[in-house]
Amino acid sequence: MPAANRTASRTTARRGSPQLRLRVGLILIAMVLSFFGARLVQLQGIDPKSYAAMAAAEGVQQVVLPAERGDILDRNGVPLADSIQGKMVIADPVMTADDAPAIAQILSTGLQVDYFRTLRALRGREEGSRYEYVARRVPSTLASDVLDQLSEAGFKGITLEDDPIRDYPADDVAANLLGFMGTDEPLGGFERTFDAQLAGQDGTARYTVGGGNRVPLGENSVVPASNGEALRTTLDLDLQWFTQRVLGQTLQKYRAASGVALVMDTRTGEILALADAPTFDANEPLEADKEDLGSRALNDAYEPGSVEKVLTVASLIDAGKVTPRQKFRVPALLHRQDRPIGDWFDHGNIKLTMTGILAKSSNIGTVLAADAFTPQDLTTYLRAFGLGSRTDVGVRGESPGILTDGDVMTSQTKDRVAFGQSLSVNAVQMTAAVNTIANGGVRIAPSLIQGSATTDEGVEVGTDNAEATRVVSEQAARQTARMMERVTHEGAGVAPMAAVPGYLTAGKTGTAQRVDDECGCYDGSTTVSFGGFAPADDPRFTVYVAVHAPQVDGGGATIAGPAFSRILGYALGRYGVPPTDGKPSRLPVEW
Amino acid sequence: MSSPAVQIRHRVPRIAQEAVERARLSVVPRTRTRAPKVPFVTLVSLLLVGGIVGLLLFNTSMQQASFAATALEKEATDLAARQQTLQMELDELRNPQRVATEAQQMGMVVPSAPTFITLGGGSVEGVKTPATAEDRLNLNPPAPVKPEVLAPAPTIVEVPATEVPAEAAPEPAKKQNRNGR
Repeated sequence: MPAANRTASRTTARRGSPQLRLRVGLILIAMVLSFFGARLVQLQGIDPKSYAAMAAAEGVQQVVLPAERGDILDRNGVPLADSIQGKMVIADPVMTADDAPAIAQILSTGLQVDYFRTLRALRGREEGSRYEYVARRVPSTLASDVLDQLSEAGFKGITLEDDPIRDYPADDVAANLLGFMGTDEPLGGFERTFDAQLAGQDGTARYTVGGGNRVPLGENSVVPASNGEALRTTLDLDLQWFTQRVLGQTLQKYRAASGVALVMDTRTGEILALADAPTFDANEPLEADKEDLGSRALNDAYEPGSVEKVLTVASLIDAGKVTPRQKFRVPALLHRQDRPIGDWFDHGNIKLTMTGILAKSSNIGTVLAADAFTPQDLTTYLRAFGLGSRTDVGVRGESPGILTDGDVMTSQTKDRVAFGQSLSVNAVQMTAAVNTIANGGVRIAPSLIQGSATTDEGVEVGTDNAEATRVVSEQAARQTARMMERVTHEGAGVAPMAAVPGYLTAGKTGTAQRVDDECGCYDGSTTVSFGGFAPADDPRFTVYVAVHAPQVDGGGATIAGPAFSRILGYALGRYGVPPTDGKPSRLPVEW
Repeated sequence: MSSPAVQIRHRVPRIAQEAVERARLSVVPRTRTRAPKVPFVTLVSLLLVGGIVGLLLFNTSMQQASFAATALEKEATDLAARQQTLQMELDELRNPQRVATEAQQMGMVVPSAPTFITLGGGSVEGVKTPATAEDRLNLNPPAPVKPEVLAPAPTIVEVPATEVPAEAAPEPAKKQNRNGR
């Protein structure tokens, strides 16, 4: 064989053997083709998509288009909370560690962040880290200015990423209602309740990039972001601010634990201002006590005290049980089944009219008048005024208050409910109830949201859903308003300091004992309040002020009255409501 | 192929002879059209070159437009960010707290009761109450109550006076200083 081969190859070399060449060539081609075939199976048969994706990813950039969070506006469209484009500043320690002090100096002066913390971020808080936050929620313009400075100085390794900023331009104004944002999600108030409406939907864009520019005929698909919708509240920024400051001043002056103040548009039930104190700065929620972050006006229930007498009296008049001029003999002490009922002021046997009982806030007189009612009668009226059920204005964790059902209410409880103890309310309920008198006996459900909005619990709230229900007759309401006017008259009533000079002001004081949450008993502190409206003959605004646990001696007239007068006066002036020409009430208080 | 077969052939298809004659193909002399080649080639090359150059130009201009688009987009983003920042600054300036502080520094006081001037007759509605220093609104609310984490209760270290050696005495004082801060 070897010999034959040798001869064969010699002959091939000379004239070529096509058979052999063809065969060798065929084998070579078959080998090469089988490699190609194997590769083809590998590429197309086994996981073809990953290669396609790799090919597509080459030069294709995918970016998230962040949706802009909807603003929260006041009734005039002024933002209470707004969103602006922001950036997070990110360092890559591998690139920044060497020049850390120099970079940190530029960053800390430019972004006003702590130098040493920045230094730690630039050097990497952990070994091998390549992604460190230097600052978050920096206004876009500021961030890019600082980045320009850095690149001018020749430093690399700092990048920016989108990080929208939520800003509350008026700091603490309406903070208890608005809530606040955590790092990425809303943590309270309207921000959380209406997050579905405010948040919007992020979009994405995919496009091919070459040298920092889009390749014109490359891939280009955009799913635009749908921005969040604005939430329009019924609040009036300036009035809200003023109300908060007056309330804050009152709390400070009387060293009170907490307080609320509300302004309501009589005709529409829109809440123009809802102040809670103590409050917090919505831009710095972590610097405030957790207790102060919610809205006490809705979350806390308390005993309303004598302001509630207004509701009792209006109901009695509506039922035809009493008249404003009806005469009562009020004894010094009223002995009832379990304990005697007294008045806040010492007196012997006095002769008061129904108006006088209200103007001087006599518990005994009210109980005597309410004897015409069964517990059922009274609770039916009070429920119609909105006590005992949630107002559903769109604030989380609202307390419905406590109102015992009429059929299980004892006569002792009824006596106390008639002058505002043994039942509890939240401040918005009470304001809406007093507003019913102002609005001619028709209760309008209070609202904080203009139009309509859906809460995270699926409840539709807002002015569109506000219902009006008649509670007492128009005449009963007008008569009660005339009686309430006497409360603010010097000599006749107890609260002349609550009157707005020049206006017919109707109102009612309240001083109630406070229940201690721990022992469930009266702890000796009081809730002083004042609710009322002006002008009494054509009411426009209902204002309610309640101050909890003041440490300076005083009642609803002396503590809450002046605050009421200031807030109401400001609201009347701000909305251009001139004094009416009506004659002041001359209902007799004594006989 | 001998004669009887030929004879049969001759005899039988006589009828179709003419048709057969007609069907017999013969080579036709090719008619050569001598169209000039040059214009056609020129046209095609022109079209080709023109197409390629046009495509190149078109591509370049699209690229140019893309650069411009990127630059303009960046400018738009910057301007939008600037507008938002300015809007935020404006809102901060509009903050009633700031306005009130400035007004109070000018000596202005919020009146306790509103009065109205009728522009037509110049008459004044409402009770004219002078604004007094008592009506001055306290613009700086008390600072929010801090959470316990930020305002921890002071650590009080009670040191029994009799058992403390002389050199250890300054220590509690130092500790208290730190808490005081």
